[in-house]
Amino acid sequence: MKRISCIAGLLLILVLAPSTAVAQRNQEVVIEHTTSAYVKTDILIKMFDVLSGGMPAVGTADVLEDVVIQDLEFSGLFRTGRSESQADSLQYEFTIEGTVEGPLRDAEQTGEDSPTTVSLNLLSWPERQLVLNKRYRPLPSQVRTTAHHFANQVIEWLTGESGICMTRVVFSRGTGDRRDLYAVDYDGEGLLRLTANRTLNLCPSWSPDGSEIVFTSYREGQQGLYSLETASGNVRQVIAQEGLNLGADWHPSGEELVLSLSRGDNPEIFRISPTGDIIKRLTVSKAIEISPSWAPSGRDLVFTSDRTGTPQLYIIDGDGAGRRRLTFEGRYNDSAMWSPRGDQIVYATRQGNTTQIVLMKTSGENRRVLTDGQWGNSEDPCWAPDGRHIVFSSDRTGVFKLYVYDVLEDSYRQLTFGDDPDITPAWSR
Amino acid sequence: MNRGWISRSTLLTLGLVLIVAFGLLMTGCGSKPDVETEPETEAEDQGQVEEIPPTIQGEETDTIEDTMPDYASMDPSEYGVEDVYFAFDQYDLDNEAMGILSRNARALREANVLVLVSGHCDERGTIEYNLALGEKRAKAVRDYLVSLGVPARNLRVTSYGESKPFARGHTEDAWAMNRRAHFERP
Repeated sequence: MKRISCIAGLLLILVLAPSTAVAQRNQEVVIEHTTSAYVKTDILIKMFDVLSGGMPAVGTADVLEDVVIQDLEFSGLFRTGRSESQADSLQYEFTIEGTVEGPLRDAEQTGEDSPTTVSLNLLSWPERQLVLNKRYRPLPSQVRTTAHHFANQVIEWLTGESGICMTRVVFSRGTGDRRDLYAVDYDGEGLLRLTANRTLNLCPSWSPDGSEIVFTSYREGQQGLYSLETASGNVRQVIAQEGLNLGADWHPSGEELVLSLSRGDNPEIFRISPTGDIIKRLTVSKAIEISPSWAPSGRDLVFTSDRTGTPQLYIIDGDGAGRRRLTFEGRYNDSAMWSPRGDQIVYATRQGNTTQIVLMKTSGENRRVLTDGQWGNSEDPCWAPDGRHIVFSSDRTGVFKLYVYDVLEDSYRQLTFGDDPDITPAWSR
Repeated sequence: MNRGWISRSTLLTLGLVLIVAFGLLMTGCGSKPDVETEPETEAEDQGQVEEIPPTIQGEETDTIEDTMPDYASMDPSEYGVEDVYFAFDQYDLDNEAMGILSRNARALREANVLVLVSGHCDERGTIEYNLALGEKRAKAVRDYLVSLGVPARNLRVTSYGESKPFARGHTEDAWAMNRRAHFERP
């Protein structure tokens, strides 16, 4: 009898012990939270409380909720719910709560823009222990940005990496030789026109600090590389050698550019300073050499050469040495971009009469075609800074529009709309 | 009467005669320019009438410029310069293209103005590679024209790639129309 009860007692302890450990962990603020890209975090976003400010404040609260929820969904890292009753299908680990206090009464009466006080909190669930508290005072035009900022904080706290909620995509819109640069928030809102010079402007690239966008333009008659200062809208010429000045990519340091210059001869890859001084020529051949893209290490780059007769991808280092061919499948491979994570390259390949987007490891392995015939033509792929999303241009609806693709989910959403073709997108960092 | 002296009346008469003779002589010199010399020529022409060349057909106009076209303000197609076309993914000139360019060379030498040669591609392929291919097409045309005597300084080269098509549509015909080198005023 005694032995059985001992064994029973032992078994009881063994069964109980794990639950005790869990209970103990839940009492402390969760410091370790590992998210794997394939496992999403369930998060509850309750309706934000409106403490004052009437209907305008209610509207502000609605926008904040919607944008925070959309940002978390777009990241691919979360499943969001809006009520506690979804707790049976969603295992909430966190919740977001917020309060909105409307503008002062006299501002409402005068109709002036006045800041609203917003407080947004991330708490553990169900214990509701405060993890993050952020306070903002946005003007009406800044409400979406406020929500983006907070969503970024949540993502960064949970994953240790920056979110992309405050990023933008710049692209070229128009037909024929009348195409200008436009920028849109990464979620498709806030469309802005950046140039209006009645000529062909395309192939933009953001500087790492977001202060400049370089682009190829025919604004002075022949092709040149120009730089737009994003804060002021001012444009300056970077370089305008004879022939092509094309496909510039910023070095991760932000201190130089790489691009293709033909200089009266055939196009070659050159490193240049932001003021247009040539630092180094990387390729020498009778072939077309274009479309360079730096690795995030800043040491190597991928580019296109047709030295074998048709365009293929090659890797080379910043001194022009160590050239090795990367693509052996497909007759026509171009428009490569190195992932910010360093391990993959996305590019465009021609299959039959259409162009499709391909993902491949920098080793050349795991070649995966992301789009197919139902996409029409898919071109100009560009990584988001999270190394998980790609923006590209596709004419699947009959006119080229931009789409954002989630590499891990194999899902996409349309980013731009309207009748004019959108091409050559570039994602800010 | 005095024996050794010429009489006064004789002297007077002699003087008068001298004066009159001298006067006649002077008048004779003075009247020489009045003598007509032309009658001699007229006398020679009396037998022939010059033939006046017949007028040519045309509208009477008083503007001098019409005799010389203002090439600098004209589109090259207006003075006989034609576009040339290329095969898919190619930038070399076939026989037909070379024939067109020979005629173009004559017109361009005559016009002697700066002309822009732009290279174009069909919509297939990537933006950047098509810009490079378009440049190769324009350069091939420029180099051939220079070899036929068109001054290099009169030809500027650019490329629009696939971004400025001539024919819309996604058919072989539309694609063929867009693979070209085009001539325009800069």
